[in-house]
Amino acid sequence: MALSGMRGLSVFISDIRNCHNKEQERLRVDKELGNIRTRFKNEKGLSPYEKKKYVWKMLYIYMLGYDVDFGHMETISLISAPKYPEKQVGYIVTSCLLNETNDFLRMVINTVRNDIIGRNETFQCLALTMVGNIGGKEFSESLAPDVQKLLISSSCRPVVRKKAALCLLRLYRRNTDVLNIDGWSDRMAQLLDERDLGVLTSVMSLFVSLVSNNAEAYWNCLPKCVRILERMARNQDIPQEYTYYGIPSPWLQVKTMRALQYFPTIEDPSARRALFEVLQRILMGTDVVKNVNKNNASHAVLFEALALVMHLDAEKEMMSQCVALLGKFIAVREPNIRYLGLENMSRMLLVTDVQDIIKRHQAQIIISLKDPDISIRRRALDLLYGMCDVTNAKEIVEELLQYLNTAEFAMREELSLKAAILAEKFAPDLSWYVDVILQLIDKAGDFVSDDIWYRVVQFVTNNEDLQPYAAAKAREYLDKPALHETMVKVSAYLLGEYGHLLSQRPGCSPKELFAIINDKLPTVSTSTVAILLSTYAKILMHTQPPDVGLQKQILTIFKKYESYIDVEIQQRAVEYFELSRKGAALADVLAEMPKFPERESALLKKAEDAEVDTAEQSAIKLRSQQQTSNALVVTDHPPVNGVPASNHLTLVKMPSQNIAEESNVTYEEPPVETPKENGTPVKVESKVDIIPETNIESKVEPPTSQPASQADLLADLLGPLAIEGPPAAVEQNPVQGLEANQSPVGDLALATLEDQSNSVQPIVNVEEKFHILCSKDSGVLYEDPHIQIGLKAEWRAHHGRLVLFLGNKNTSSLVSVRALILPPSHLKMEPSSVPDTIPPRAQVQIPLEVVNLRASRDVAVIDFSYTFGTVLANAKLRLPVVLNKFLQPITLSPEEFFPQWKALNVQPLKVQEVVKGVKPLPLPEIASLFMSLHLAATPGLDNNPNNLVACTTFFSETTRAMLCLVRVETDPQDRTQLRLTVASGDQYLTFELKEFIKEHLIDIPRVQASSPPVPVQPQLPPAAPATYNDPGAMLAGLL
Amino acid sequence: MIHFVLLISRQGKVRLTKWYKPYPQKERSKVIKEISTLVLSRGPKMCNFVDWHGYRVVYKRYASLYFCMCIDAGDNELETLQIIHHYVEILDRYFGNVCELDLIFNFHKAYFILDEVLIAGELQESNKKTVLRLVTTQDSLVEAAKEESSSLRSIIAQATK
Repeated sequence: MALSGMRGLSVFISDIRNCHNKEQERLRVDKELGNIRTRFKNEKGLSPYEKKKYVWKMLYIYMLGYDVDFGHMETISLISAPKYPEKQVGYIVTSCLLNETNDFLRMVINTVRNDIIGRNETFQCLALTMVGNIGGKEFSESLAPDVQKLLISSSCRPVVRKKAALCLLRLYRRNTDVLNIDGWSDRMAQLLDERDLGVLTSVMSLFVSLVSNNAEAYWNCLPKCVRILERMARNQDIPQEYTYYGIPSPWLQVKTMRALQYFPTIEDPSARRALFEVLQRILMGTDVVKNVNKNNASHAVLFEALALVMHLDAEKEMMSQCVALLGKFIAVREPNIRYLGLENMSRMLLVTDVQDIIKRHQAQIIISLKDPDISIRRRALDLLYGMCDVTNAKEIVEELLQYLNTAEFAMREELSLKAAILAEKFAPDLSWYVDVILQLIDKAGDFVSDDIWYRVVQFVTNNEDLQPYAAAKAREYLDKPALHETMVKVSAYLLGEYGHLLSQRPGCSPKELFAIINDKLPTVSTSTVAILLSTYAKILMHTQPPDVGLQKQILTIFKKYESYIDVEIQQRAVEYFELSRKGAALADVLAEMPKFPERESALLKKAEDAEVDTAEQSAIKLRSQQQTSNALVVTDHPPVNGVPASNHLTLVKMPSQNIAEESNVTYEEPPVETPKENGTPVKVESKVDIIPETNIESKVEPPTSQPASQADLLADLLGPLAIEGPPAAVEQNPVQGLEANQSPVGDLALATLEDQSNSVQPIVNVEEKFHILCSKDSGVLYEDPHIQIGLKAEWRAHHGRLVLFLGNKNTSSLVSVRALILPPSHLKMEPSSVPDTIPPRAQVQIPLEVVNLRASRDVAVIDFSYTFGTVLANAKLRLPVVLNKFLQPITLSPEEFFPQWKALNVQPLKVQEVVKGVKPLPLPEIASLFMSLHLAATPGLDNNPNNLVACTTFFSETTRAMLCLVRVETDPQDRTQLRLTVASGDQYLTFELKEFIKEHLIDIPRVQASSPPVPVQPQLPPAAPATYNDPGAMLAGLL
Repeated sequence: MIHFVLLISRQGKVRLTKWYKPYPQKERSKVIKEISTLVLSRGPKMCNFVDWHGYRVVYKRYASLYFCMCIDAGDNELETLQIIHHYVEILDRYFGNVCELDLIFNFHKAYFILDEVLIAGELQESNKKTVLRLVTTQDSLVEAAKEESSSLRSIIAQATK
């Protein structure tokens, strides 16, 4: 045993080791801390040796887990010591004890800098190491240039330069501005020629970080990386010391391949060929050997090579090799390799065309789901989750349900969430979905979050066909002796709503339903009691003819809860009691719950949130994110289709308005009385009644009297408007979509439409889908009986990548498929080719690269057409590439905000406008509207409670990242007007952003004077009702 | 990158901690506790990786000590595992058949060596000889200073006699 060389320290450590219990240890530590404290107080008497010794003791005590909240100054002061031993201790202990945020560190920046630029190599090393390990923002501002100099200096020895490289990496991570890209790409290329492999390894780490931020700037380095890899693969000129178990530095190989994954492609054919040769060699030449370290090292390289092959989407030959290798790996005994095999197979799912091959390994993967090692089970679960689609959903979900019985607690929540999501996404039929969720609740009730059962209720509510089935299922579960409380909730809810549909079945009379539900009442918690009370009220309402006995029983319960301690329950009890004596009126009040508006699954959102963001973006992570959202779109469809109600609900509205206006029919609007959610259908029907001859019911074939389908008319109208988008026109009719609906379209306009009758109508509301996609990045853009177009978008600064998914719903092909993209002048769009034919039941993807050149509200349009049989279908669809996609919300502190706000106090850069006719929204709702537009409302910047300040960053090629500031001053007296101030560093941007915000704030399209006074129109759900009909606005007016 | 390095004994005693990301003090003890429970409970035949709050902990047991490194989920796990082994090999050569006691009584040496292997959570040097040479040079610098000061002290002592 080597001795520490410091007797006092060794003695102290021995003492600690001899302590028999925690208490003794604490006493010994306290004694020592007291000792150190007094010694530090009269510092004069301390020799450097003693000081050093105490500092080490402090670190040791700190490591034992005790708070050491003094002595930091003494530690740091050692950095300034003239001699090496003290300086060394100062640097090392400081970097262990303190955080980069510690204020003391600021005091030594100068000393550290002197050490870095000084001539003493050992001091340089110490300083670089500490800055590399704990250097913060301030260090990066004051030291980066000096560190750079050391890295590129030819007179420095490798030992200094490799430390400088990593130190610079740290500083760069803290502040990417420290490296000026222009100059650095050439420097970097030179650095990659480094012969010393130690320096090269460190330089490569720096390089990985640089390219991960901006690969474009470092194209010139790409061939060098390939050359380094070649050198390693051929084991050319690699010193013996840099081989590790016979493998030329596996770390350098891994890092180099990692760097290459940040380049989008490798175009240079010779570099590509050379690289593939290397990769081929790695894929083929890696054998499993006995030595575990050699094995690990070679497989580290192999897995990185796999990742690189996947990234480069190589010739299919190599890809199939990869899949084959992974297939082998997931079946081996060695746990590390199996783990990584599963993990990489999940990544492999992104590559097109291999999903089917991966599916062949399903059985093997399911075996890993039962492995004793939780790490492996997790990877297997991830993989199963990722590979699930309509074809294997039943099998996989059932496997997950089965596993739920034995899974440990740590995994159950994740497991049940994933099973619920898969069941929802891929349900072949909705009754199966209900089965799965009920089973989930039954088996793992504690781990089934509320979101899951809310979701099933939503589905059942929105699907009439499903209601009797779900109610019957719920009834079955109630027979079980032990029931999880969540199950009680969901069954009680479902039976309350739909129990009456079962009344003919045995055991399902209102009386029996009540009895079996009421059995659970004594054992459930208050939140469930509340649901049960509602259920009772509903059962009572549905009991026709009234059953006096049952009524009495239920009323007794209500009575009993009238004095209950929980306010919610008390109120329900009182209200239900009173209501139930109102007779027929009860039926109105307790009518069936309205359908839920279609919304993104809360579960999916939850699953996405659960993914923790890591600081450094890795290429793989980026792609795996892409994958999740990808899956979302491709598979979004079944649930969406599963809600037919919402389709017919939204379809008719807009055309009907048009026609109502065109034909100048004025009619009295029935007063709003139904709840908002299902208010619209009522009105639509009323209109249909009024103008029966136009026959606009969506389910009916298009009217022969009208030349084109309504929806197509809409699209055609929107098309040119969107392309030209003259600001003046837009200003007049702030909301484009509404303009199309409401502007009086003359007969002329109708006549100019193509004669060719377009018999294919969209079965979704195209306008609404567009609006949804303006604030979301994936979803359905268009759907008709033959095709569904999904869209997924990713945005990074001023770049965007859209993928259109064209899915043929038929069993025969769609031919002559055309998708012509008409971009406005401010967008550069590069579409890839569109296949002429979409095979039956197939989906094709059309990626589309977008570059935003400058701010504009114009919208791109895709002119889409295809032929199915003899029918030619054509639609012009707006693409949701709107201004807010290039905005990134940002929160500023007052210190950051006000200087900017003041600096922009120049007219065209900052504009102000009083906006009238705003939809009256309370401030928080404006804030959330802003958030949906990627404007971050920041409280605390404006003290006036009626005002709101928001900040965002806009990205375009001309402006790059540009800060935009927005202020809204509302008038509590008149919520329909507000003052809007927008500021940015670009006048064009300021104007466009102002108009853009206005478009979203204003609600009532200003109908032109010539048009007849139209009574208030029922709007689309996203648009709020007009001012004078809105209770909120009336209230505001009264106040 | 490596977020932090922990050396934990079988009994859960911490032998070394090194943080490359700014974890506040409180967080540090929490992390140590979590990682210890996570890693110590794992059986010998299991893989060397564990999920931890969206990160990966790569660990390896050597006799009574667990060497743990936390990395991002996208990082190369096996590469990190070999960094651990590389570090252990250097410790082994430096101490000559290293054991836990070496690392207890010479914990500062473990830090010196680690600083030559990793900076900023990245591998700095894969050449064991270079690392050992640098560490022994440091040792001799310290020794030299000690001798110098003791000889100085004896001179002063003699002079004041």
